[in-house]
Amino acid sequence: MDYARFVEQRRPVWDEFDAALATAREHVRRVGHTELERLGLLYRQVLHDHALAGARFPGTGAARRLSGLALDGTHFLHRERGRGVRGPVHFLLRVFPAAFRRQAHLLAVVVPLFLVAVLTGLVLTAVRPEVAGVFLGPDALAGLEEGRLWTESLTSSVPPAVSGSGIATNNMTVALTGWAGGALAGLGSFYVVLLNGFMLGAVIAVTAHFSLAGELLGFVAAHGPLELTLIIVTAAAGLSVGRALVVAEDRPRRDVLRDAGRDSLLVVLGCLPWFVVLAVVEAVVSPAVSVPTGLKIALGLALEALFLVVATNPFTTGAGHE
Amino acid sequence: MATPESNIGEHTVLGLDNVPLELPIAGAGSRVLAVFLDYMLVGAITVVWVIGVVFLATLVDGLRGGWGIAVGIAGYFVIDWGYFAGMELALGGRTPGKAVLRLRVVSRGGGSPSASALVVRNVFRSVDLLAGLPLIASDPLARRLGDRIAGTLVVHDQRRDGEVTLLRVPAGWGAGEVAVAEALLRRAGDLDGERAQALAGRLLAVIDRTDPGFLAGVDRAADPVAVLRASLTSRPA
Repeated sequence: MDYARFVEQRRPVWDEFDAALATAREHVRRVGHTELERLGLLYRQVLHDHALAGARFPGTGAARRLSGLALDGTHFLHRERGRGVRGPVHFLLRVFPAAFRRQAHLLAVVVPLFLVAVLTGLVLTAVRPEVAGVFLGPDALAGLEEGRLWTESLTSSVPPAVSGSGIATNNMTVALTGWAGGALAGLGSFYVVLLNGFMLGAVIAVTAHFSLAGELLGFVAAHGPLELTLIIVTAAAGLSVGRALVVAEDRPRRDVLRDAGRDSLLVVLGCLPWFVVLAVVEAVVSPAVSVPTGLKIALGLALEALFLVVATNPFTTGAGHE
Repeated sequence: MATPESNIGEHTVLGLDNVPLELPIAGAGSRVLAVFLDYMLVGAITVVWVIGVVFLATLVDGLRGGWGIAVGIAGYFVIDWGYFAGMELALGGRTPGKAVLRLRVVSRGGGSPSASALVVRNVFRSVDLLAGLPLIASDPLARRLGDRIAGTLVVHDQRRDGEVTLLRVPAGWGAGEVAVAEALLRRAGDLDGERAQALAGRLLAVIDRTDPGFLAGVDRAADPVAVLRASLTSRPA
């Protein structure tokens, strides 16, 4: 077949496909079964014409037009399937717990690492209290020497709404960055876990050194347990991405990485709403001197238990890959 | 659906019936320019947001003081983390910056990426701000970290309007000659007039030599570009 005859005979099909594709794109919800079937048939013809033009008439206007049509058709007609999340309740009760369970084994790496970091911070700061100054700053250390926690100035000078919003966005940023940093062979996640563990140990030791551990407990009891849990869980999710980068086993690395990235994102997304709850608690309940420490501890434990129940969801089974 | 095959090149995916499709991968330059435009827009949206919150705070008592700042901070977080993923979800794999430069995010097989893939590739943006450019520059598929993890690619949208296809071809012409003539007719408007006429004149001379009867009956006194267009893109009588 010569070029002119090829163009003359096949151009009506290309024009029809071009027009049908433009219409379908404009009114994607109104594409009926008949139109879609016709579009599929035309797409198949365009693909075959594209293959013929590529082989017989490379570089010509027809080959260029067919290449564009084939790519546009592929983009419109082939949709990658997602996880099929059916709303936030379905996500929180089914998809998130299933993803959490699949990633839970990495907690066996992250939790001991976190505890080692806590212990290191604890011991180092017990021996040299000025170590805590690296994180808290000289003003906070001076305040401790005068018998004041640094948290007092934070909560007394800023309205709860502002501190709550700031805390929530800051914690979510730390969680997202820690998770995304896991893609650097897990280094970002390790950094977040070790830094937070070390800081916790250092803060406990320095407040104990100045006999203010009780006041610190009163401040962190309501929000601390869950906050640390969320940081550990999101870091473990990041570590799964890093693990996929390093250990691909017998599958292509890009496939392992893609699966780990998407699965762990579900865990991170499931954790984000809890950061908002925690921010409210941290901004309103934690600094309130009128709330007894015992009640704060009970609230902290209740939040922790509620998160663990939602995350593991023992009432449902299955992989959650709907 | 399409799976990449090692023997057909990395830019090529196999479509329906194993028809190879060459993906026009976008390089580092166009992508950096697109992201620059997007960050300018993010900046503008943030400024508008701040002004809007301040204005609202003057009207609504509840937004004065702490709550106004709280809403401002929360909104900034949403803009900062949600702009790229939100735009790509809403605009079919494009942000406004990508749309200006005619770029689009596609799946590894050339199809529409899933919502989760678009979210994943954009959550990794914070890491890619540091490592993305060298990764794009060193990868044949120009993928940053987020693209690798989400299984996505950024491609050029091919412009099809203004494409010229010949309806008459002189005897002895192959695909190469056809492509040259079509390229000249497509770009004649962008070229310097004399230069276009000179090139068209040379092509007419080639036609005279290879297929002497092809231009019979054509008024050769007119503009060579017009003569070439009339003789090659009009259906034979």
